[in-house]
Amino acid sequence: MIRRRLWLFLAAAALAVFVAACGGGGDDNEATPSQPTKNVTLTFWNGFTGPDRPALEEIVKRFNASHPKIKVQMTIMPWDSFFQKLLPSYGSGKGPDIAAMDSVQVPQYADKGVFAPLDDVYTDNVVPKDKLVQSAVEAGKWDDKYYSIPMNFTTLLLYWNKDMFKEAGLDPNKPPADWKQWQNAAVKLTKDENGDGKPEQYGYAIADHATIPMWPILIWGNGGDVVTKDGDVMLDDPKTVNAVEQWSNLIINKKISPIGLGGADADKLFQSKKAAMEVVGPWMTTGFKEAGIDFGLAMVPKGPAKQVTLGTSVQFVLNAKADDDKQAAAYEFFKYWHSQPSQQYWAVHSGFPPTRTDVGKAQLKENPYVAEFGEYADQSQFYLVGVKDFTKVNTNTFEPAIQRILNKKGTPEQVLGNAAKKIEAQTASN
Amino acid sequence: MARNGSAGVLAAPARRLRDGVAYWGASPLRRRRILTAYAFMAPSLLVIAVFLVWPMIRAFQVSFMDYSVLGGSEWIGLENYRNLLSDPAFRNALGNTLYYAAITTPASVGLALGLALLLNQAVPARGFFRGAIFLPVVTSLAIVAIAWTFLLDPDIGLINYWLAKLGVHSGGWLRDPQWAMPAVILVGIWKNVGFYMVMYLAGLQSIPREFYEAASVDGATAWQRFRRITWPLLANTTMFVFIIAAIAALQAFDQIYVMTRGGPFFQTETLVMQIYRLGFTEFEMGYAAAISWVLVLLIFVLSLLQVFYFSRRVVRY
Repeated sequence: MIRRRLWLFLAAAALAVFVAACGGGGDDNEATPSQPTKNVTLTFWNGFTGPDRPALEEIVKRFNASHPKIKVQMTIMPWDSFFQKLLPSYGSGKGPDIAAMDSVQVPQYADKGVFAPLDDVYTDNVVPKDKLVQSAVEAGKWDDKYYSIPMNFTTLLLYWNKDMFKEAGLDPNKPPADWKQWQNAAVKLTKDENGDGKPEQYGYAIADHATIPMWPILIWGNGGDVVTKDGDVMLDDPKTVNAVEQWSNLIINKKISPIGLGGADADKLFQSKKAAMEVVGPWMTTGFKEAGIDFGLAMVPKGPAKQVTLGTSVQFVLNAKADDDKQAAAYEFFKYWHSQPSQQYWAVHSGFPPTRTDVGKAQLKENPYVAEFGEYADQSQFYLVGVKDFTKVNTNTFEPAIQRILNKKGTPEQVLGNAAKKIEAQTASN
Repeated sequence: MARNGSAGVLAAPARRLRDGVAYWGASPLRRRRILTAYAFMAPSLLVIAVFLVWPMIRAFQVSFMDYSVLGGSEWIGLENYRNLLSDPAFRNALGNTLYYAAITTPASVGLALGLALLLNQAVPARGFFRGAIFLPVVTSLAIVAIAWTFLLDPDIGLINYWLAKLGVHSGGWLRDPQWAMPAVILVGIWKNVGFYMVMYLAGLQSIPREFYEAASVDGATAWQRFRRITWPLLANTTMFVFIIAAIAALQAFDQIYVMTRGGPFFQTETLVMQIYRLGFTEFEMGYAAAISWVLVLLIFVLSLLQVFYFSRRVVRY
């Protein structure tokens, strides 16, 4: 019995080694650019482990079925391991042919020369640039070249819990339109009934770390910024400081949001009916609906300077070492991905709005939320466009600064001033 | 049970050295035995060389470079080490690491000794308690840390819920800069205390019963028996456990990575956490390697000090 199990184990191990060898080595065979008609295998890495995974897999399956000469071989892993593996894998020459990652991550890799510029995707009209969401297209630019092209796109919108609005005496069908109404509503919706200083219900859940950017939207609304797309550090600008002052005061003194929330914590609060408002993307619609929440969706309320929300896009990149065949195959895949039928399928099944602006509402009626997230594309702004070191600037400087302020380790002016100096020193040393 | 100073510790390596020198002058039979011994050791030596020694040598090399995985490297001599001296982030991580180790090490060793003494007696459900305390040792810290994160969640977590029922209104735990470190320390102790307890149980059971019998005949109290027999005879175990616990504490990473990622604002960032952040998220491998070597030296020196301290208290019986 034991012996048989051992054999089974050995057989399985041998098979695993064999499969791994095939997966790793398969792409060395077609290194002859003179024969573009050869069969090509494209390795494709991404982190779509969430609810949009089946939609992605289905489109890849359809592509492979309709393109007999090209095989897209997709590896989906959590984003954590994706980013841990990506650079070492390029370093050892085993990096994926194409990959997908948030546009903010692209520059730090592009700067190391691991991605091929994709300008000819647009100039050769492989993908019609003017039909795509423009802010998403521009988010792929680094050093005056397009190193990435959109794969998906969305804005963040204000979710509000209609039952809680009703209970607090607010009109459940009228979301706040400007900051004044928004801040008043947030205070009104915060309830500490047992008076222990810890509300049972929060007005507006704002995450300050490990999250899709929520604070920058507030800063933009007041006319401030973290780093502009021209590279100016605006963290210590009076408008930035004022925005952070206003909202941090509401959080510290009126307790409209817990301090120290991660993105997932904020989602959980809204989902468990402990927060009345949240600004987040379309990926939460299903979860909130399943939790039985009667929510509404609206554009982020208008700030003193402008009405703005975050635009965010996961983008395709191409391995700098891809040969002509692989490049041709990758372009074919990009073209297919951005075709109207693919985008319609993607939008309806992933909940993200289409990357093309010419996929109309009528084509998206199967998923009523999708069109809403696409509607405010023009008022969306991308975060830290053209900043090389996203991690250093956002994760290791901006987010800790906000946390320091919320924990009263300094005034917004002091803390943001220091953070601005740190970012300036970093960008100067590059 | 004579105290024989450090001889017990030093005897073994000295003998090994002598054996190595003796190889060339040894008889053929003895030579073959030595070769056989090395052949048996070869597989593990190979693994250690490839996965431990070689990476350490490489890291040492890289620590003198401005090395960022891709995009070139440059020999910069001692600059990484010089920068460390004036880097507030490094000082913060070093302080956090020492804070973590200074609480975790004595707390887990003390608790382990207490539990071992308790569970070495005939208490009801002894096997169950031993198992329950040892269980965290064999689970994956990264995974149970996720469970702890849920338990400690201030809004929907069980711990705050229970505490509230008792009338205690607790804070934000992992979200609170003051409480995040105690929370990860708690999980660190919980994870390792079972292992140290088992070590102590083994130590307790190797103490000959005659000593206790003789002490009882002489009319020694329980405290005297512990103070005069148990504690001195556990000195070897205590040395081992203390050193292992200190090394584990100085390398704290798993639960911190999962539970706080070093936050809020770096309040729980230990040295290993910082090495990870700089090396794998900011790609400053050279600087990260320099910190790694500082940590290696720190552990080395602290372990030596402990060996020195304990070796004067080692007993043989």
